[in-house]
Amino acid sequence: MNGFVLAPTAPLGLEIGLGLLMLVVLSMGLFRPSTPNRLTGWVALIGLLVLTGVAFAVTPGGSLFAGSFQVDALAVFAKRLFLVSAAISVLATLGMSSDRFAKRGSEYHFAVLASLLGMLVLSSARELILLFVSFELMSIPLYFLTGFLKKDETAGEGALKFFLVGSVSSAILLYGISFIFGATGTTNIAAIAIAMASGSVFVKLGLVLTFAGIGFKIAAVPFHMWVPDTYEAASTPFVAWLSVAPKAAGFIVIFRLYLEGAGSTAMVWVPLVSAMAAVTIIAGNLMAIPQKNVKRMLAYSGVAHIGYLLMGFAAVSASGTGMILFYLVAYLFGNMGAFLCVQAVGSAEHSDDFDAYKGLAQRSPVLALSLLVFLLSLGGIPFVAGFWAKLFIFRAIIDQHMYGLALIGAMATIVALYYYLVLSARMYIEKPDNPQPVPIAAPLLVAILLCAVGVVVMGAYPEPWVRAVMDAANGLF
Amino acid sequence: MGFPILSVITWSPFVSALIIMAFARHRPTLVRMTGVVGSSLSLVLSILLYFKYDHVANGFQFHEFLPLVPSMGINYNLAVDGWGLVLTLLTAIILFAGSFASWTVKTRGQEFYALLLLLSTGVFGVFASLDLFVFFLFYEIAVLPMYLLIAIWGSTGEVKPEGMFGWAFKRVGVGTKEYAAMKLTLYLLLGSAFILVGMLALYTAAGSTSFSFLDLQKVKFDPQLQSWVFLFFYVGFGVLAGIFPFHTWSPDGHASAPTAVSMLHAGVLMKLGAYGVLRLGFGLTPDGAVQWAWLVGAIACVNIVYGALSAMSQKDLKYVVAYSSVSHMGVVMLGMATLTEQGINGSVFQMIAHGIMTGLFFALVGLVYEKAHSREIFKMGGFATMMPGISTAFAIGGFSSLGLPATAGFVAEFLTFIGAWQSAHSWWLIPGVLGAFFTSIYVLRVVKQIFYGAKSTDPHFQDLPDAKGTEWVAIVVLVCILVLFGVLPNLMLGPIDTTTVPLLVKMGVMR
Repeated sequence: MNGFVLAPTAPLGLEIGLGLLMLVVLSMGLFRPSTPNRLTGWVALIGLLVLTGVAFAVTPGGSLFAGSFQVDALAVFAKRLFLVSAAISVLATLGMSSDRFAKRGSEYHFAVLASLLGMLVLSSARELILLFVSFELMSIPLYFLTGFLKKDETAGEGALKFFLVGSVSSAILLYGISFIFGATGTTNIAAIAIAMASGSVFVKLGLVLTFAGIGFKIAAVPFHMWVPDTYEAASTPFVAWLSVAPKAAGFIVIFRLYLEGAGSTAMVWVPLVSAMAAVTIIAGNLMAIPQKNVKRMLAYSGVAHIGYLLMGFAAVSASGTGMILFYLVAYLFGNMGAFLCVQAVGSAEHSDDFDAYKGLAQRSPVLALSLLVFLLSLGGIPFVAGFWAKLFIFRAIIDQHMYGLALIGAMATIVALYYYLVLSARMYIEKPDNPQPVPIAAPLLVAILLCAVGVVVMGAYPEPWVRAVMDAANGLF
Repeated sequence: MGFPILSVITWSPFVSALIIMAFARHRPTLVRMTGVVGSSLSLVLSILLYFKYDHVANGFQFHEFLPLVPSMGINYNLAVDGWGLVLTLLTAIILFAGSFASWTVKTRGQEFYALLLLLSTGVFGVFASLDLFVFFLFYEIAVLPMYLLIAIWGSTGEVKPEGMFGWAFKRVGVGTKEYAAMKLTLYLLLGSAFILVGMLALYTAAGSTSFSFLDLQKVKFDPQLQSWVFLFFYVGFGVLAGIFPFHTWSPDGHASAPTAVSMLHAGVLMKLGAYGVLRLGFGLTPDGAVQWAWLVGAIACVNIVYGALSAMSQKDLKYVVAYSSVSHMGVVMLGMATLTEQGINGSVFQMIAHGIMTGLFFALVGLVYEKAHSREIFKMGGFATMMPGISTAFAIGGFSSLGLPATAGFVAEFLTFIGAWQSAHSWWLIPGVLGAFFTSIYVLRVVKQIFYGAKSTDPHFQDLPDAKGTEWVAIVVLVCILVLFGVLPNLMLGPIDTTTVPLLVKMGVMR
């Protein structure tokens, strides 16, 4: 009996579960405003862990609403990625001091979960309207979360900037979608590939506009301006998540719109995307060099990483797509870990400047070593995850004989290593002003160590991860 | 498979590094002893390797094989041929001498020895790896610890270079160890970016099935591809070999690095660059090598003359030695560009000769600095009466540097020059010989000024002690080997030739 009622909604199981969790978290704040902020955090975390466990047990298959909601291998992979990153972020948030929430803990976690719900639906969406709605469901809570510390002036500025840029990009995205709909007469994504193959100009125009809209979201140059201000303004554990999950969502949309079923017609995009990738890599890295604030530095270096991900798109191949997913996982652990270390140092020193990191190795060796591992991974040094990620992307590119682009990417890595090394030198070579260890909350430390383990394990043994991402990517081609 | 002698040679420094980090905290004697034991083990086994190497059968020997990532064709595959054999021996000798030369490292000695030994594992691994991917990983291990070694234990230069480009040097802050460390690391990593792209290009062109050198060697790559992949390898490895104009990291880096690091870096790591060009560039992209030999040779000529002239204008003793490396690495590159048997043999022999000689020089400069606390050539004088041992060793090293017969340097330069004369561009001989002439000027000038000239009246330079105790080990070992190879060059030339001839045959320039 039970099975009979639930069976039709089985593909939506994760989303329904997450919705229930959202209701619980929201009602905790609504009906008992005195609920400690930490408690809502723990509830959200436990719920997320359960859902993550379920997500890892789910096997691909099943669709709803006449195929517009599909749980294929890519969707399952993406859902796992989003859930893991959200769980790490919520875990790290537990380490934040309660007064920063000002009794609004349930709002905060509700917004995080709402955005996550958007991402989960997005990864399964095979229809343009659903895609757009879930994209907005993902984005709007992010604006709110950026300005969450409403008494802080920079938070207001960052949130407004993010909101304006984000709304414009959504408008462009929708404008592009309208062209696609106009040309094909359907909102089914599968129709796009067919229309592209027939050489429809309006579909092409629509897709270029959509790409600009997505470009804002993933912060590819020249649509990256909002990134450093937003990152600097928002609370760091949230930024850790913001810097990874919505970017990954952007790439899932790219896969769906441009690559899925497109075959060789997707080659049209190669010049545009490879030029954008090269510019993003170069500009992101160069702008990161003069930064004096670690969050801004990581923001610009994050822009450069988007360039590497776009390089994988420019390969237009199953291996390129798979390696984007691999890169995203490596980036998840590396970048989130780095931001969480920034949170640990920042909350102790009340500063995110490079100077706050002086002699960190002598103050808190574990924290310094973790941050070093994250930076090395982001820089692409062997034996940590980022190295394989870059290597695989280069290999995918070289497979398509784009040697020049690979060389630009490889050389820009050295530029990136410069600023990562400058920060490492601060930690390891200089003497600390204040020799006290950095106080660090236990949940935050656990989150950092989780990321460090992820980076090291991926670096030491990439084989199973490669197999997983290739399984997810092969369905697209 | 038998006893994995190459793996033991490669990993024994690494294991000693682990032991040092785990068990020797605050016990400096134990740190040093562990370092010496680890490096001695490598040295003894390298010598054993030399005697067990079959000089008649050419090709790779002592194979070890362990699959790592079979799906991508990455395997841990070690083996050495003639070149690998002699360069492994060179690394072991320099590491052995270096672990004695670091005896006086006071601050954070534990980390210093651990990083030094880690670096050596990387170098051994590069010379023994047959798998390109593992080769690259070892290469990175050899390059990365350098940053910390120089930035923490290095020294900030006293004398800033003057002259035409003096203003530029002042602006970028030459002389600080942090600057030198960052410059060196970025240059070398930039090189490795080229290497990586070149390697991946060959890998995919060969069908993405194997990173093995032996497999890739059999593939006949498209000449167009070979042409630019060779250039990538040349630039990528050439940065490490100090080719003009990518050599500027070398004087700053070597002058700022602590003694043992300068010894290993100038003595062995620069060879690693030349070895890479020879092994991967000439071995995998032979057509590209033949096509671009004119460029390699011409730049080598610039290196020889320009390096020697720069060394001549330095006032800081360590910068003189560092620039002389740039000049001597030019001889290495010139030798291989000749594409003749003598030239390539001379090139590899020069790697050995220069490795030993520059190791000796840096050890001696380190000793002089420890005793006199100065590197300024024109302030010091008449040290021979106070430190006869150091002076004699320095003079012998200097003779090898300027190519006096009965030293290893002579054999190397002589062979290279014969090769240059036989090559398609016999004019290369002129800058080569000119460089040797300039070398004699700056070497003899330094020897005369510091050791045998008029005694300095500076009160700081009175009653300085000679080397003592463990300090002798590095000096005696290196001097003896320098003379030994000068008198009996066939010890090295035998195995080198077994690899050179098949390569030239394969490249189609020799029948």
